[in-house]
Amino acid sequence: MFKKILIANRGEIATRIIRTCREMGIWSVALYTPTDRDSLHVRLADEAHMLHSSNRYGDADEVLAIAKAVGAEAIHPGYGFLAEEADFAERCAAEGVVFIGPPPAVIRAVRNKMEAMETVKRAGHRVPVYAELPDAYADEAALQRAAARVGYPLVVKSARGGRGRGARVVMHPDKLVEAVRSARREAQLIYGDDHLYLERAIAPSHYLSVQVLADVHGNLVHLGEREGSLLRHNQKLIEESPSPALNDAQRRELWATAVDIARLFNFQNTGAVEFLVDSAGHFFFTEIKARIQIEHGVSEMVSGMDIVREQIRIAAGEPLSRTQEQIRLEGWAMHCRINAEDPWNDYLPSPGRLTRFRLPQGPDVRVDTYGYAGCAIPERFDPLLANLIVKGDDRAMCLSRMRRALMEFRIVGVQTNAPLHKQLIQHPAFVAGVYDTNFMARFRFDVSANTNEETCRDLVAIVAVAYLMRRRLDRPVTPPRFLSGWHRSARRLPSQWM
Amino acid sequence: MHKLTILVENQPHEVEVTPNRAQPGEFTVFVDGHPLTVFVPDFDSPELVDWMIVDDRPYEFILSPDLRVAQIYSGRYDIVVRDKEAGGARPAVGDGRVKAPIPGLITRVYVEPGQGVDVGQPLLTLEAMKMENEIRAPIRGVVHHLAVQPGQTVALGEVMVEIQ
Repeated sequence: MFKKILIANRGEIATRIIRTCREMGIWSVALYTPTDRDSLHVRLADEAHMLHSSNRYGDADEVLAIAKAVGAEAIHPGYGFLAEEADFAERCAAEGVVFIGPPPAVIRAVRNKMEAMETVKRAGHRVPVYAELPDAYADEAALQRAAARVGYPLVVKSARGGRGRGARVVMHPDKLVEAVRSARREAQLIYGDDHLYLERAIAPSHYLSVQVLADVHGNLVHLGEREGSLLRHNQKLIEESPSPALNDAQRRELWATAVDIARLFNFQNTGAVEFLVDSAGHFFFTEIKARIQIEHGVSEMVSGMDIVREQIRIAAGEPLSRTQEQIRLEGWAMHCRINAEDPWNDYLPSPGRLTRFRLPQGPDVRVDTYGYAGCAIPERFDPLLANLIVKGDDRAMCLSRMRRALMEFRIVGVQTNAPLHKQLIQHPAFVAGVYDTNFMARFRFDVSANTNEETCRDLVAIVAVAYLMRRRLDRPVTPPRFLSGWHRSARRLPSQWM
Repeated sequence: MHKLTILVENQPHEVEVTPNRAQPGEFTVFVDGHPLTVFVPDFDSPELVDWMIVDDRPYEFILSPDLRVAQIYSGRYDIVVRDKEAGGARPAVGDGRVKAPIPGLITRVYVEPGQGVDVGQPLLTLEAMKMENEIRAPIRGVVHHLAVQPGQTVALGEVMVEIQ
């Protein structure tokens, strides 16, 4: 087993990886940028190095140089940044550092989404209708021909993709050119690659992914599926496992299909085989995410497996710790992404300093976060502040536990989307488990405050007292502790000085 | 005794507050004639106060520094405090200066000086935390001054547009 691992990431995922390293007795090396110095991962690591490159966590040269200098045997890329970078994985191998993730060839095979869909289609599985975009984006006629082959409504996607960014839904040919233009700009900004493709939109649908783990000895298991159909601006908000949209027969078929597809690519390490499920219950393969995902915690909750631990074991050449038969998927888990953004103010990012940060506790409640009271939330990077994950025996228990945990979670200093989550998980359609990707389009965040008479009176009394106390704070006064006799005499100079 | 008028979501409430001399941190508050006892557990450190007990009901709250917004478990409320003894209410600031709510990069500007805008009309796009944030007009009026252009970075609170 490795003795030292470098974690090439930040925030909650870096913190998450450090925890498993420590449990396994592995020395953890963290990286941080000057603005991230406050993040919990820096404090928890055994060793922390500052990055100087403007590419931050994505700078392959600097990350590798640090790994070599500190003698790290392996690099865990987390998600984003250097994860799913085949070139980086190859360079690691050349430099004698283990990349904790799939082999470069596998990353390449799944990273090209169109080729991956072609492979899966040839193996007899369903994939959405798609078309590569002609390179000459300026040629509107060619663009329209490609779109006509796919059919409307369609989605403009980044061929590099990931995290839903850069995707645009187009309902009508009139909007195609503008959508392609803005998708290109965003793809270039985020991925540094503006290669796009068109995919027939399946809407409404369910976004399902099956978590898979595969070792180098040919063992491949799944940890059940996750439903992530609640999205805002292409970013998932709530994930749950199992999915409320499937019956048991569909579930088993989905798992078997996911395992088949992962085998097609000789998949190794951990990943998620992703599907769209249409309203008739047909599922369509869309892509394989060749990395750990933000929402991996729900799969850990229902399976009792530590996915990061398995990743590290697999990278070290060890076999999976459990066979499929030994993996029991039990209970119901749900994940709310707590973002530092203001639902009352158009979800504007809300950076700042956390003055209070009290985590929810109690049975089967887990929070993965880089925050703590006193820490600064930087304005660059992603607004994700905390992953709140709970588990219950069934969905109803899971929901009431999530409601309770959200009430207990106290965050002061930045505004978060926790109030949005409270409303979402109490929405009748969500409670009934009959939501799909259309849900968020119809959902409106209720900005009106509950004006129950007693609550309102209590609030008025609180504001009145707070106002008076602040007025007292504003006025210059001598605090009582400065009026004690001890303090008065202490202000006199010692006699030998006079 | 201190007299205040407090508006919660535009509903006025008449308030009288009397500190209990014998019990530091305890206040008797009349809200529209209803007597309530408010206890401030952290009375000794006023800058840390973030919860109070009203008639044995504990409340955790977040109050904005300007006391215009209050958040408790049941939601977020717009607040106005009028101090009858200080004389004169705080003016409800509604001037047309659009300031940067977060530091970031201006990626697009949709309006030009002299152009008429409606409430909620997009003025510009401010990119921060890898998200594009549309900044909208707070009031109806005419763009009097445009202080930014695409590609420019703005600091927190920097005036970007003035509307008259």
